[in-house]
Parts: sequence; structure tokens; C-alpha cells
Amino acid sequence: MRPPLNIVVVGGGTAGWMTAAAFASVLGQRKCRVRLIESSEIGIVGVGEATLPHIRFFNKRIGIDERELMAKTQATFKLGIEFVDWARIGDSYIHPFGAYGSRMAGVPFHNYWLRQRQAGDTTPLEDYSLPIVASRMNRFSLPSEDPSAVLSTFGYAFQFDASLYAAYLRGFAEQRGVQRTDGKIVDVQLRGTDGWIESVKLEDGTMVTGDLFIDCSGFRGLLIEQAMKTGYDEWTKWLPCDRAAAVPCENAGPLTPYTRATAREAGWQWRIPLQHRTGNGYVYGSGFISDDEVASKLLSRLDGKALADPRFLRFTTGRRRKTWNRNCIAIGLSGGFLEPLESTSIYLIQIAITTLLDYLTEAPASAETRFDPRTVDAFNRWIEMEYDRVRDFLILHYHATERDDAPIWNYCRTMDIPDSLKHKMELFRHRARVVTYKDGLFLEPSWLAVYFGQRITPQRYDPLADAVDGAALARKMQQVREQVQTAAVRMPGHEDFLRSYCPAVEPAMTGARA
Amino acid sequence: MSGVDRVVIVGGDAVAWLAALSLQRAFRHRGLQVAVVDTGQGKNTTDARWTLPSLRGMHALIGVQEPEFLRRTGATYKLGTEHIGWQGDGSRFLHAHGDIGTAIGAAPFYKFLLRERIAGRRATPEQYSLAAQAARLGRFARPLEDGEGLKSSFTYAFHVDETAYVEYLREHAARAGIRRVEGAVASIDTSEAGWIRSLRLVSGNDIEGDLFVDCSGLSESERDDWSAWLPCDRLACAISPPLANPPPLTQTTASEAGWTWRVPLAAATAVGHFYCSAFIDDDAALAKLASVAPGARDARVVARFKSGRRRRFWEHNCVALGQAALELEPLAGADLHFAQLGIATLVELFPLDGHSTVEGVEYNRVMAEHADALRDFTIAHYRAGPARPEAFWNATRASPIPVTLAHKLDLYGSNGRIDVRDHESFEEVDWAWLLMGVGDIPGALELQMTTLLESVTAAQMDPLRTQIERLAASMPPHIEYVRHQVSAPMRASS
Repeated sequence: MRPPLNIVVVGGGTAGWMTAAAFASVLGQRKCRVRLIESSEIGIVGVGEATLPHIRFFNKRIGIDERELMAKTQATFKLGIEFVDWARIGDSYIHPFGAYGSRMAGVPFHNYWLRQRQAGDTTPLEDYSLPIVASRMNRFSLPSEDPSAVLSTFGYAFQFDASLYAAYLRGFAEQRGVQRTDGKIVDVQLRGTDGWIESVKLEDGTMVTGDLFIDCSGFRGLLIEQAMKTGYDEWTKWLPCDRAAAVPCENAGPLTPYTRATAREAGWQWRIPLQHRTGNGYVYGSGFISDDEVASKLLSRLDGKALADPRFLRFTTGRRRKTWNRNCIAIGLSGGFLEPLESTSIYLIQIAITTLLDYLTEAPASAETRFDPRTVDAFNRWIEMEYDRVRDFLILHYHATERDDAPIWNYCRTMDIPDSLKHKMELFRHRARVVTYKDGLFLEPSWLAVYFGQRITPQRYDPLADAVDGAALARKMQQVREQVQTAAVRMPGHEDFLRSYCPAVEPAMTGARA
Repeated sequence: MSGVDRVVIVGGDAVAWLAALSLQRAFRHRGLQVAVVDTGQGKNTTDARWTLPSLRGMHALIGVQEPEFLRRTGATYKLGTEHIGWQGDGSRFLHAHGDIGTAIGAAPFYKFLLRERIAGRRATPEQYSLAAQAARLGRFARPLEDGEGLKSSFTYAFHVDETAYVEYLREHAARAGIRRVEGAVASIDTSEAGWIRSLRLVSGNDIEGDLFVDCSGLSESERDDWSAWLPCDRLACAISPPLANPPPLTQTTASEAGWTWRVPLAAATAVGHFYCSAFIDDDAALAKLASVAPGARDARVVARFKSGRRRRFWEHNCVALGQAALELEPLAGADLHFAQLGIATLVELFPLDGHSTVEGVEYNRVMAEHADALRDFTIAHYRAGPARPEAFWNATRASPIPVTLAHKLDLYGSNGRIDVRDHESFEEVDWAWLLMGVGDIPGALELQMTTLLESVTAAQMDPLRTQIERLAASMPPHIEYVRHQVSAPMRASS
């Protein structure tokens, strides 16, 4: 039996506790020992209050009971994201967690919708999407396992309190043997021969050694950047926002089963409804608006009474040049930052953790060769691909706009975009074809939602969609619409469902943080 | 000119006819007119070809029924390919068209085999594959199409007599109403910008079209040259008598300056020799072929080629398919498969008007990825595992491998993981067959896999092996199964 891998996680926010919980649960104590160092003096950013359906795979893999998780994190369900005022002021579209209709004769459904529209049918595309129709009615129920049922055509995610999520994971991880150390790191010792991290030194003088150091220290990148000088690629020229102000407020009105992102004069505003409060924030470019103005605009645009003063964050959009450098892996904000427009923060944490779990090998005898550089390179390529794909999708939201009422929109509308995205948009505009790929975010329905939502109107559709008989097609389309409508109407209200399924319980206070 | 109503296909091989039939089927609702300028099968063709299972999907789309197809083309079934001597004399392995074992929880079965091999114990994919066991015994029965048990654990492809296949497809196309014009192209009339307006045939006839599909075979073009990795540039073939009990298996055997193959057909055995002219001359190559297939007739050198692909497959209103697009030795049986991918992609991206270009950009992007992935899989046969000693084999290892292949082999070498990217035809299990087959065993295995497999012992797998052996032995002899299928009455639909 080889000795267990010694893993040191630095930082106890969302990324840190997700990492600790996953390793402790998947590999177990005989394969790895996990120590997490966090300082109760340092607050957490608490990113990722809204998630993507992928989090359910993560929960399943590490053995988290979703219902319990939801109850303990004031969680609500999420069927998609509503985008307001993005292409034009007054617009609203929902990016749903599910498909529009289904393929017919191998041809994606939206081509038939375009065909019908050309023939004078004005039904909006969203009428063919159950998660959108349910969202508009504030209804929710769990999807069906039966693939022939219309109730199987969607997925769901959660909206939760990120601090409570971290606290919940902490409990989960500690039960599985994760050692938590409360302390502030004052020094990082690198091995002279090759620059690997040997140990970190705490304020009280304790030295913590390890085989693998996971940097979850947030934007500053205590290990990956401050100690190892790994470097960072900036993407500000495409995604010009560099600050955010966040403020919670009281709930008002029904709990929506979706997150909202509203385009504003210098960026956009998020709204995430939780059981006990609503999270809000304004993501903006500091070159386009002052912090004071952001604070006052944000406070004037809340559903209910503000529950705190706005908290300001600064960031640089981009990616760490190497997520895995020597024996240090940056997970979370230390690894890169992409604004939460598509709720990708927790996804990017999750994918780094699961890819690492997929790639790590049994520890060989010698620490020197513990991490095969070939594994490390493959891991870094994978993470790069994930970031790049999310990046292009985010740029699309900013670039494909008709808005000319503010400098930020004029900039984004006219900026040069990556060639890969340019080609994708051109192909869609020309013939409604979505460029799809096997790995990474996002799938075809997501691209469709945003293309159509951002008013990219295809000139034509796939000619194969003309092969179906017109009358039969009209009947089929009507049938899909009715199925969606009927299924949505039969769902309980989102709040009612929450109340019976996972009513919030007061979190057990750990004392680690407010 | 606005719409694309007339497609002109130039060529006369299987690819041309498959393209004609597919396009006509897909767009008959628009009244698409498909014409084939039949330039004949050409001299560059081999007597037989071995395919991949994907051909069955294309056959279903164009209405080719299996019994008739088998009857007309002298075809037999193929459960995989056996590669002999590639890692030195005495080495041999199978790449079967099927699963290796059954998943152990979240672990693919081959991870268990890798663990055994890393621990120094003997374990081969063949022992746990029904397709491989049946192929070894010369037995065959069709898989169950949609079950989950061992009887659904594999798929199959064909060996076909090429001339008979082309003739059969030509007739099938005639029945489908596809216009055929016999002849050769004398000149091409293009617009200033390079778009083809019409073809003038040697007979003096002009054939106009909106879209042109070039299946005319090898040609000079702006291309990616792969001959540093795949230096074989000559192909000789011959016909030998049928085997008494032909296995449902293609066989390739490494030789001093290339490799020979054996394809069992119903009434004959096709053999051939792919070789590199820098290391062996034609006479010696033919002599080699004669030595591995005594009694063979019609031995001849049929092709000179250079491994590589066209940079742009689709330009203006012309799309290159088949050998006009890609020259890749058929080691993995993927040449027709690549043409099928080209046809399917062309159907999906069929141009909306006579002047759109964005489809071509996308087609070229997608097809380049497909082609390069097939290249990598082919090169891996030469580069993974131990090397043969001959000068030719040293030469195949002289250049650094393509970076995409290096990434794949590096990851596998470090932790046994096989990542398959966009537009790769060969899946994780195919790579597992190949890499385990050549004896390429990783230095370590993923920690999560060793954890998952911790309590799994080899003895626990004995019942699976026994069951596979029993099922394989219960299948009829391959050739009997073929004969039975051939005599089956036509079905209304396939």
C-alpha cells in the first residue's frame, strides 16, 4: 500500500471546501489526507450563488444529498437565466436548461420553427421550451426519468447562499476526515532545486507540508501567483467589466425559478432569489461609471429593502497561464475569473476538481516524480479549453447587441471578437446552424437561446427541414406546444414546491464566519 | 443563379455512387437533380476493401438491404482486424468492433486490464470480447440491436469485392433515377472568381451544374503531406483462392518495407501489399506478396500515392470526396468511412445558394479535424509499442508525431486515460484495443480507478470469460452464416 497523498487546500471559500469535500469523499482517507487552511479573519467572496445543472453531477459523485443541501443553504430551484434589455431595451429572453422541441428526421427543431415562422406562424420559440414556459409561470417540479415524457426535456440547478454552501461543505468534509486549520499563511517555502512548494508557514509559526497544494485563496493567488509567478492572460479587451458591487435585499414578489441578468448603462445587474433574501449585484467597467454611481443605481433597483451596504469587488477577467504549475493547482478565482453572467463560477471550480480527480495517479515512491508532467500538461489543456469556450459564449452576449445608448455597448458592439466566435455567428446568421462540440460549455440550446435572444436572425434555415409535409409539421408543432403548456400548468408553483420539498432550516452556525 | 438545383459528381468509384445516392435521397423533396459523370472505376483500385461498421448506417439511409448487398458483392462480415508482427515477429493483436468486457461500476473494463498489466499479470482485451472470440473461432452471428447484454456488445462491418460493389451501387443509383453520363472530363469552364459553371466532356457534351463533387481520385493540390509519418507510397494487390473457413476478420501483417493484408471474401481471398518504394522495388514487393499468398493471380502494382490530405476540401462550388480529399493507407479501414463523413457533412451543410462560402469554411474545419484524427489513429499503429528492426520501420519513427497524437499518447502513458476530442471517429474503446494490443502499458493508473477497482480480483472475471467463450462457440461458422443470409428472401425494408 502506497502512502496517501498529502493535499493542502489553501482557502476556505466555495472553491476550497468543494475541493476538500470532493477529495475526501471520492478518494477517501486511505488514498489522500486533506488539510484545509483558512483564516477566519479573511472573508470569502461568496461567488456562484447561481449554478448550472452540472452541479448535480458533482453532488452525485461526491455523495451530497440535494434535498438536505437545499434546505441548509436557503436554496431555490433554477430553470434558466432571464436576460433583460440585452439586445434592445425592453427585450427579455430566457436561456433555459433544456431543449426547444426535439429533433425531427435528424434536423434540429429550431429549423422547423423558422420554417413555420416564414410561413406566417408567429409563435415565439420559447413556447416550445418547458423550462421557459414554467419559468414564466413561476412553476417548478422535478424532471421525469422517462425519456419519452415532455417532463424529461429539462434540467435544473440551484440558487443558494454561497456562504452557507461553504459551511455545509465544511461539515460534509470534516465528517469525512478533512482537517481544518484556522490560520493565516505568512510565507510559502519553495524547494530550491525545482521551485515546488515544500510547505506553507502560518502566523503562529506552524509549517504545513504537503505533496499537492491547492490554491483556493481567491483573486490574489497566494501560491500560484504570489509565490510561483505563474502569469495571467487578460481578456479585458473583450469583456471590459472589471468591478462588481453586491448587495442582498429582502424578497418581494414570488420566488422566481430563474436568475435574472439585466443589461445596464455600464454593465449588467444580477438578481438571484433565495428563500430568505435576494442576492443582487452590478457588474461594471470602471472606465464607464464611478463606484458611487453604481452604488446608488444598484440600491435604487432592488426588489425590496437592502439588507446591507454594497460590497465592492475588483477583478481582472482572464485565466492563469497554468492552472496546474509544479505541485500547485489553482482552483476558483486564483485560477481565473469570468464574470457570472452565465453562472459559470462554480462550474469552473467543479470542472477543475473533477478533471484533477480524473487525472491524478497513484503516488509513486519518489516525490520528485509524483506528478507526471504529461498529466499536468493534459490537465492544463483541458482547463484552457473550458475557459476559452465559456469566454466566447460570454462575449456573444456583449457583442451581439443593437444598443447604442451607452459607451460600453458602443464599444462591445463594434469590438473585434475572436475568429472562432465570428465564424460561429456567421454560420448561424447564414443558415441557423449552431457549431457544436463534445466537451465543455455550452450545448446547442444555450447557443440558440442567446443567438435568438440577442436578435441574431438567421437568413435561412437547414433545407433538410423542408422535407417534412407542411400540414403534418403544423400538427406536430401544435402538439409540442400543447404538451409544453399542459405540463407547465400542471406543475406546482415554485414556492409551494420549495415549501414542501426543502424548506430552509436555520444553518448550524460554525462560528467560522458570519 | 440562386438556388443549388443541380449537382454534378465526377468519378465512378464507390464514393461517387454513395454521394449521388445520399444527396438525391436527402434532397429529393426539393427536386435536386444529381448527375454522375462516370469516369469508370479507375485503375487505382484494389480488388477488395474492408470497411467500418458506419457503412451500415449509410446503407440504411440509401436503401441498400443487407442480403441483396451480400449476394451481389461477394461480401463477408468483419468483426475486426488482426495486426500481425507490427511490434516485432511473433506479435499479434486484434482490434475488434466491440466492447472490452463490461463496465465495473464507473470504471471502463479496460482499466481493470491495465491494472492487471501494470501489476505484471497477463490480461488481454481479447479474452473479454465476444467479437474477438467469435472472430478467432471463425464464427459469426449478428448482434442484437438494442439490448444491453453480451449479445449486443459488438457491431460489425464488411469485406467487399470492390468491382462488384461499384457495379451494384451503380445499378442502385440507376433505379433511384440518378442520371449517369459516361465519359471523361476534357475541360472545365469557370467564372473569373473560380466558380465552376460547367464541364466539357471528351465527347463534346457540356454538363452544367450548381455544385460539383470531385470524386476523381488523386490530384496535385495544396496539401498537408503526411509521408514522413506514413511513408508507404505503393500498393500492389492480387487475388487468391477462398479460405476453407474464412474468419470474419481482416488481417494485416508487417513486412520488411510495409505491410500486407488479407481480406476473406465469399468466393476469393484478396491480398495486397502496401510498401515504401524507397526501401523495396516493385518486383521485390510483388515477390513478397506472392510469398505470403501462394497461388495468387492478377498480381499487379495498382497505385502510387502519397499520404496526406487536401488543405481545403471545399472550394467555391466544388467539394472533393474520397481520394481526391484524403490519401490514407487503409490500415484502420477508414478510407470509405472518411468519404461517408464527407457526404454526411455535405448533406448537413448543403449550400443554400450558388455563391455562399460560409458552409465551405465550416466543412473544411470539421473535415480537417476528422481527417487528422484518422491520421493519428493510423500513425499510432506504427509508433506505439515496441519497434521493428528494419530500416523502413526506423524511418517511420524518425519524425516527431503530430501534436494531437502526442497529447493522446502522453496522457495515456502517464495515467492510462484516453481522452477523445471532437470529430474523432475512433472511440475510447478503439484506442484501448490498439494501445493495449501493441503492448503500450501506462506507467500508472488514475487514482480514482485504482480506488474503484481495489476490491476487484481477476478471479471474479472468470465467469464473464467463460460466458463469452461459450457464446462465441455457439455462433455458426462465419461462411455458413453468410450463405444463409444470401439465400434469405428480400425484406420490404431494412
